[in-house]
Amino acid sequence: MDFAIPSLAILSSVTQPSTVLAQAEGVVGSGLVLTIACAIAAIALVLLMRPGPTGVRIAGTVGGLAGFAILVVEVLKRAGGEEASLGTIFPLIFSFVALAGAVRMVTHPRPVFAALYFILVVIATAAMFLVLGAEFMAFALIIVYAGAILITYMFVLMLAQQSPVENEGGAWYDRVPREAGSAVLIGFVVLATMSEAFFSKSSQSFRDDVAERTAVDGMESAWARLDSMPKLLLETSQNAVALDWAKNRPEGDKSPAPTVTEVIRDSRGSAIRMTDDQASIEVRLADGTSRSVTLPPELVPDNSRQIGVDLVSKYPAGLEIAGVVLLMALFGAVVLARKQIELGEDERRELAGMRRLTVDGESGGSGGLR
Amino acid sequence: MNGIAHTLLANSDAQAVNLALLMSALLFACGLVGFLSRRNMIIMFLCTELMFQAAALAMIAFGKVHHDVSGQVFVIFILTVAAAEAALALGLIVLLYRRRETLDSEAWSELKEA
Repeated sequence: MDFAIPSLAILSSVTQPSTVLAQAEGVVGSGLVLTIACAIAAIALVLLMRPGPTGVRIAGTVGGLAGFAILVVEVLKRAGGEEASLGTIFPLIFSFVALAGAVRMVTHPRPVFAALYFILVVIATAAMFLVLGAEFMAFALIIVYAGAILITYMFVLMLAQQSPVENEGGAWYDRVPREAGSAVLIGFVVLATMSEAFFSKSSQSFRDDVAERTAVDGMESAWARLDSMPKLLLETSQNAVALDWAKNRPEGDKSPAPTVTEVIRDSRGSAIRMTDDQASIEVRLADGTSRSVTLPPELVPDNSRQIGVDLVSKYPAGLEIAGVVLLMALFGAVVLARKQIELGEDERRELAGMRRLTVDGESGGSGGLR
Repeated sequence: MNGIAHTLLANSDAQAVNLALLMSALLFACGLVGFLSRRNMIIMFLCTELMFQAAALAMIAFGKVHHDVSGQVFVIFILTVAAAEAALALGLIVLLYRRRETLDSEAWSELKEA
């Protein structure tokens, strides 16, 4: 919790640094700003990793926050936003929480607290998944990681923990890192490479280009997944007809919307027709007439339905292999956890229902004949 | 055509994707540093889980860029591998701990039985 007080000061200065950065950009190239910020964060991490006086830790915290702030401002600027909108506040908070949790996890001398900080990272990552529109994976992540994997880690920590030494707290190998300097150097190289790969001008423009080009395709394939879900297709078309009916009926008309009996598919078995960016569908109504309705965007299948359809229709082999991997892990865990019990001759004879060779209390019973 | 692209990829979306990519790079670097510098074997494996998280986050962010749920499907496989790895690695760690009565990875630097 040592970052609590300096973080307020830094966060209040975050509103201004774009002007400072603009001046800095005149001196160094814009690509270098990311690398310099990574270097500042790396130096701060080295300060935080060694057990040292409080002053060093505060300096490391402030340095890390400064590096993070520069990185965030630079990255947001590259996204092409004139100003940070309200929509970016939440991702900002989540990435800050995740980073703080990860740093504390790496630097904390007590393993149990490191595991708890990892749960914080998991929750922040899941929140980020929600921001990115991956609802199913967000909840699966919390259930699988925070609920199952971390509990296993906790149990093993409790099983294998050495009792802390008096007034030193924790075993020495938890307090003293191994070659923190060179480890952080490697981490810095990886981070600088990745930030250059993710946020260089060419990859940024490539990403914007792809995002613009695939938006319609993504919408189209989202609608097309309805084809493999006949029940949902019928339901969606009924909803679309009802919405259409409610919009177009004359004033005062309270009659219910017509019932859809069938969705008409074309010769390729596809029911969705895409014209430009509008999805439409042809349905047969209860009175025998058929008509075409446009599908409003809010009726698109939700995230978990799309993942489910993709999982079984596009990646069935991967699903099978995942099952085999889990089964093998189960076998492996059982084999590892099994305790080998050496039975002596007497115990084996006893299990087989035979008379003991030695008298009780006499030595040499266990394993005596080997 | 341009209209729907812009409504689907509002400016805050590009910013969120960039922040997610930055977060994934930072988490991966943190996990790598932790794996290299911590001595406790359990924390080392916890740091590999951190790197798994970073990879999953990058998958989902790029899936968002491509408007495709394949990235999310791959996160399911990442989760599977992470769960299998946790089960096996923790079993191994408990076995190693029984032999040396310590979690220090340096105790095994000679790669031979005591």
